[in-house]
Amino acid sequence: MEYPSLTYYLIYTSRMKKYVFIWIILMFFAGCRKDDSANFEGPDLNDLYGPFSIMTDLELPNQFDFSTGGSIAFSLEISKQTNWVIEITGQSSGAKRIIQGKERIISADNASWKGGADQFPSFGLESAIVSISFPEEEGAITLYDTIEIKGLKIDDGILITSFESGMGTNWNVFNQTTTSGGINCNSGMAAKGQCSYVWDGLVPWDWAVGSVMIKPDSTNFGLPSNANNLFFNMAVKFISNIGTTNSFIQFWFDEDDNGDGVFDEDSEDRFIYEYWYKDSNWQLVSINYADLMYDEDGEPRQLNGNSLPEPSKLIGINVFFLANKDNPERSKAEVDHIIFTTNQSYKP
Amino acid sequence: MNKLLIIISGILCYWNVLGQSQKFQVNGAARTYIFANELNIDQEIDSITPRNANYGHSLLDLGFSIFPNKQTEVIGAFRIRNELGGFWGGGVSFNVRQLTLKGVAGNKIRYELGDIDLSASPYTLFNNHEEGAVNENSIFSTRRDVVHYDLFYLNNSWRMQGAKASFSLLSNRIVQSINVESFLTRQNPSNMLDQAERLFGGFTVNVIKDKHLNLSIHSVNLFDLSQTITIDHSRYNNSANSLALNYLINKKDNSTSSLKMESGFSTSRYFQTQSPDTKTNIGDWFYDFSYKYKLLKHNITLGYKDVGSDYRAPGAQTKRMNFARSPALYQQISNAFIPRAASPFDFIYGNTQNSYKIDPLLMYFNPVYGNLSPYGMATPNRRGIYIDYTNNGKKIVRESFCKLNMLGESRGNGTNAKRNFIQLSSGTDFYINEWIKMAKILKLNIGWQYEVTTRDGADFEQINLSSSLLDAGLSYQIAGDMFLLLGLKSWSAKGNEFIQSRDDFNRIVDFESIQINAQESSVASGLQYNFNTRNSLSLVYELYALENKIEGNINYGISQFNLLFNLYF
Repeated sequence: MEYPSLTYYLIYTSRMKKYVFIWIILMFFAGCRKDDSANFEGPDLNDLYGPFSIMTDLELPNQFDFSTGGSIAFSLEISKQTNWVIEITGQSSGAKRIIQGKERIISADNASWKGGADQFPSFGLESAIVSISFPEEEGAITLYDTIEIKGLKIDDGILITSFESGMGTNWNVFNQTTTSGGINCNSGMAAKGQCSYVWDGLVPWDWAVGSVMIKPDSTNFGLPSNANNLFFNMAVKFISNIGTTNSFIQFWFDEDDNGDGVFDEDSEDRFIYEYWYKDSNWQLVSINYADLMYDEDGEPRQLNGNSLPEPSKLIGINVFFLANKDNPERSKAEVDHIIFTTNQSYKP
Repeated sequence: MNKLLIIISGILCYWNVLGQSQKFQVNGAARTYIFANELNIDQEIDSITPRNANYGHSLLDLGFSIFPNKQTEVIGAFRIRNELGGFWGGGVSFNVRQLTLKGVAGNKIRYELGDIDLSASPYTLFNNHEEGAVNENSIFSTRRDVVHYDLFYLNNSWRMQGAKASFSLLSNRIVQSINVESFLTRQNPSNMLDQAERLFGGFTVNVIKDKHLNLSIHSVNLFDLSQTITIDHSRYNNSANSLALNYLINKKDNSTSSLKMESGFSTSRYFQTQSPDTKTNIGDWFYDFSYKYKLLKHNITLGYKDVGSDYRAPGAQTKRMNFARSPALYQQISNAFIPRAASPFDFIYGNTQNSYKIDPLLMYFNPVYGNLSPYGMATPNRRGIYIDYTNNGKKIVRESFCKLNMLGESRGNGTNAKRNFIQLSSGTDFYINEWIKMAKILKLNIGWQYEVTTRDGADFEQINLSSSLLDAGLSYQIAGDMFLLLGLKSWSAKGNEFIQSRDDFNRIVDFESIQINAQESSVASGLQYNFNTRNSLSLVYELYALENKIEGNINYGISQFNLLFNLYF
């Protein structure tokens, strides 16, 4: 009995050609399959369950000058993708910079240091200890090295003062009779450099402990006119009579709205901002200058001038330390490094 | 309540009389199912969980087919269910089980609206059988069928709500017939917040050239509708398409040889506007060729398949049983309230959380019960050969089969090394009474499945998992339609595997390394009286036990006494 073949419907008629045709189809499909032998799906099992080892040596320069704008790139290869922590600690300042990642290869792409710290205090000209640890790997060694800092990073911003050059010619200082307030360059604990401004005194009759009105040597500080992307930054450290309801710094930003070179409290803007105690370490106070026009409730302030934050008209910054008078202890606080930055907060 | 019962009784009597006519038919089912469970667990491990759990129900499914005219049929099925202990309305529920309108328009187009059952090919739309049964005894299968009936798991189709239309083109000198079927169903309504309305639609074109050549094109599509939620922040689309060909090579008096091919592709698109990086488009394809030779009562099939690792066909990959959820019975055990893992034992009695709609994600599965093809034939990332042998004997040995699957991955999971799978399953019904020339039926049924998963490579990526399932039973005709039934299911698994976790975009995001060394068994005995082939009354005592040899895991057991009266009319 004769049966029509598959190839009859397609092209061929002979039985032999039919099987050849089927074979060609099979080979065609098999050959079209993409080769996935070099790829796999999901996370690497080596990263999840593989053994940990350090594949290369850690090589760092013995010393580095950050003032040229360069950065130190870390280079290390480990056997698996796991969390790693690079911790850089200033031996004298106690400044810290922590870089974390999870890549298998540590390189300039994921681990470079431009000389900055995560927060105040900043690094000084000192020796920095570098450690690289792998917290998720039980029994893994921690790598150590040291780098001598020969030059500090250049701050990106408009520096008002870091109190390194003494008092400005136009500054005004207020201290209660029992308060000593002034620049101190001997503590060795400044947020940046050697000097900071310190208040220290027992003032049981008043919250006001002391203040310093910082004014430019010339007409203004040379700030840009756009407040929206401008940030005021300063380092603050509360030392004694501390507590979240006991001590704070009050900032006055005095603007010369009429341009006569003199601030008139009755007809011009004084923006006031308060920064209350959070903890006893150096803190970075960073305020977007444009936000000064709003009060605590987010409502626009009604001031005596045009009520608009205009940094180019800023002619005075008063830093005022206040502490709870009912607390029977000395009030002590320290401030340092006043700097304006654009687009982002200051990076210590 | 009394009035309601009187009204229902009156309506039933009226319908019964009316149903004698050609315009009306009544069908349905009735069931009484009573369970008495006892948890067997060490008192020191679990002093909290109540040991006994007794429950049951009686229900009546009433289905009505009304024929308003010769070309239209209206089907309505209603369920009245009364929980054991419910009295005078307490615990009674009344639900609509099916509403379907079907008919023929213009003597050409057949249509169905409402509840419809859909299936296409095993690679596009297919409701795969759950794990845990290899030629099982009716002491288990009768109860499993109850679950299948309740969930509409019939003939590998999915019950959906929507519309279906089909028509046939007239034959001509080139083809014998062309049949076209299309459907559109609703999977998810929009919740107006973050879940868009999801539809599932597709078509099948079947071209029958003649008795030798049969060609089918399948296309199924799962997709979200835009502008059905406040902000269109996420959308999912999947399309699975295939071309299937059946070719009868040769047919003689005693033998037949045929060729079967199916090949297709899928594309999936996930889009989330809130996280543009989660936009993923994946696609892959598959092919499956098999040659079947039939000689007398012997059938042998030899095939080769390759399903790409990114092939996604939710309609064919959705699992019936959700292993990620604990079963309803003894949901948590131990003093630490550890969720109890679902097992095939729980599926037999409907304790598991089961799928009633298409799931776009590859669902969690337990490799102990099946690692080779957890998502059916459309399981992605599998390629290799398969051999099936069946023997349709009619005497002492009947319904024998032997299947061998030797598959491997085409893409590694978490490593470039690839897993290899070997699964051998076999089973038969052995009619002892035919052998010893006894009048009363004495049937031994045996099924066995053995599976090995291996992967080479570094120590941490090696896999070696073996598992086996012995499914055996004995049916003895005591007298007339009364049978004594004995059943045994024994699972054992030993080795290690990595459990995959997938994110909302079906990507593997984690592997959990697990060690397995466990033995599970279900021993059941009971009496069953068959009123006819579909209706029976049975009384069964079953003892399930899990012995987990990995330190820290919990051993427990469940003993169960159940009574099932099952009636279909």
